[in-house]
Amino acid sequence: MISLNGLTKRYGDKIVVSDLSLSIKTGAVTGFLGPNGAGKSTTMRMIVGLDRPSAGSVTIGGLPYARITEPLRTIGALLDARAVHPGRSGHAHLVALARSNGIPLRRVAEVLETVGLGAAARKRAGALSLGMSQRLGIAAALLGDPGILMFDEPVNGLDTDGVRWVRGLMRSLADEGRTVFVSSHLMSEMQLTADHLVVIGKGRLIMDAPLTEVIARSSLTAVVARTPHAGELASRLTAAGIGVERLGENELVATGAAIERVGDIAHEAGVRLHELRTREASLEQAYQELTEGSVEYGART
Amino acid sequence: MNTATLTRTPSARGPRLLTRTLASEWSKLWSVRSTWWCLASAAVLMVLSTLTLGGAHSTDIANHNVPEKTFEASEAVVSATTFVQFALIAMAMLVITSEYGSGLIRATFQATPVRGRVLAAKAMVLAPVMFVAGVVTGGIATAVEYLLLSLDAFGGSIRVTPAGTVADLCTTGVYFALVSLLTVGLGAAMRSAAGTLTAAFMLVMGLPLTLAMSGSQVALDISMRMPMFAGLAFMGSTDNLTGGRIPYSSAEGLAWLVAWAVLGLVAGHIVLRRRDA
Repeated sequence: MISLNGLTKRYGDKIVVSDLSLSIKTGAVTGFLGPNGAGKSTTMRMIVGLDRPSAGSVTIGGLPYARITEPLRTIGALLDARAVHPGRSGHAHLVALARSNGIPLRRVAEVLETVGLGAAARKRAGALSLGMSQRLGIAAALLGDPGILMFDEPVNGLDTDGVRWVRGLMRSLADEGRTVFVSSHLMSEMQLTADHLVVIGKGRLIMDAPLTEVIARSSLTAVVARTPHAGELASRLTAAGIGVERLGENELVATGAAIERVGDIAHEAGVRLHELRTREASLEQAYQELTEGSVEYGART
Repeated sequence: MNTATLTRTPSARGPRLLTRTLASEWSKLWSVRSTWWCLASAAVLMVLSTLTLGGAHSTDIANHNVPEKTFEASEAVVSATTFVQFALIAMAMLVITSEYGSGLIRATFQATPVRGRVLAAKAMVLAPVMFVAGVVTGGIATAVEYLLLSLDAFGGSIRVTPAGTVADLCTTGVYFALVSLLTVGLGAAMRSAAGTLTAAFMLVMGLPLTLAMSGSQVALDISMRMPMFAGLAFMGSTDNLTGGRIPYSSAEGLAWLVAWAVLGLVAGHIVLRRRDA
C-alpha cells in the first residue's frame, strides 16, 4: 500500500504539492485526477523517490522507496513513455532493467508479448511511435510482476484499440489483487475504469472517495419529477430545504435529496407523479464542479 | 496479493545488489551504437596519431635534431593519448548524459534508487573497458607503427622492447580509465552532454595548456598537476606538448590522476544525491 503523509513539494516559493495525506487502496483502480499543473506527476515522482519531498513522506508497504531492495518487484511505474535511450532496442532496455532487479530474463519476452510489442522489440526505441513507446513503458512497469502499478497518463498517444486494451489491463491487474494508481485527464476513461478517485487541485487534496460517491455528491446528480402539479411540489420541496429548478410546465429538478425523499414529499402532498427518476452527473461534470477555482492554467471564460 | 508476487526470490543484499547493478550497466553499455563508434574512433585516432608522432620522431632522429639514436615505438602511443582521449571521454560522458538527455535516468533510478550504487556501477564498468581500450588500441597502433617505420626509408631508428611496450600500454590504459572516471563524475554533476564535454575538455586540456602558456610560475605549477600533464608524467612521457619536463615522478602523476578521478566522482555523487532526477 502507498501512504502519503503530509507530502509537500516546493520549488522556490511555489508550492506544487501541499500537505497531501492519503492511502492508496489495495486491489482497486484509483484514479488520480486534477487539472494540468495540479501536482499529479510531481506526486508520482515523489512516490518512486525521483523527487525529494520538501516536507512529509511517502512509504510503500511501510518503507521509503529507496529502502526497497528490488523496487521493480514491488512497484512498477510508467511515468514518461520516452524514458528510454532512443538508440537502444526495447528488448535491450528491458534486459538492463531486469538485470538490475534480479528478474529472470524470460520475463522480458513475456511482458513484450503482453503489451503486444513482440515484433518491434528489436527496433531502436527511437523509431517507435508514441503509442508503441507507451506500450514499452507499460512492459517495463509489468516486468517485475509487482503488486502495485502506477501509470501517469497511460493512454496518451494510444489509438482506440490501445485505449481499450489499457482499460482492460488495468481492470485485470486490479482483479488479480494488485493496486493500480493511474492519473488521467480523460474523465470518460476514468469513469469506466476507476473504483476510487483522488482529486487534487493546486497541489491540495480536493476529494478522496469512491467513484460512485463522487458522482452522487455532485449537484448535477439530481431527481427529475414530471407531474401535473409541478408548482405545488416545488413549493413543498423548497420548504423542505431542497433545491428546485423548474424545467417546464410539468417538470422540475430537485437537487440535494435522494429520490426516496422526493417521492415521500410528493406522496404527503398528494401530488400525482407521472415520472420520477435520478439523473446522474457524469464524472466530467462532477469533476468540473470539484476543480472549479483550482485550475492552474485555465483559459479565462 | 496474487501468488506471483509472493513467490519471489529471497531479497538480495549488499554485494549481490552491486553485482546486479553492474550487470545492468554492462548490458546498457554494449547495447548502444555510440559505444562502438567511440571505440572505433579511438582505435583509428590512436593508429593515425601514433604513426604521425612516430614518423616525426624518426625524421628528427634521421636529421640529427635530437640526441637519441633510436626510440621506443610505444612512446608515440603515450603522446597520442593527448588526442585519443577525447573519443573515450565522449564515450564515458554518454554513459551518463545520454540517460539524462533521454529521460532514461528516471527508469534507472526507479530500478536502483540508491543513486550512489548506479554511479559506482557505471564507474566500475567503464574503468576496465577503458583500460582494455588503451591496451588494445595502443597495441594495434604500436604494431602498425613498427611495421611501417622499420622500413629502411625511415632510417630504422624505431625499436620495440617487451618491457617498454608493456609499461607504455598499461599506463595508457590506466590513464584512460582514470580520465573516464573523472568524466563520468562530471557527467553526473553537469547532466548535459555539452556541459560535460566542455568541463572535461577544460579540465583535461584547455586549462592546463592556457595556464602553462600564461608565463606565471604558479600557473605553470598548477597546470602541471592537472589531468593531462599528470597523465603524461605517470606514463613516463619524454615528449610532451610543452617541450619542458614535468617536475615530478611517475608515481606522483598517478596520485594526481587518482585525485582528479575521485574529485569528479565525489562531485557527481553529491549532485546525484541532492538534486531531483
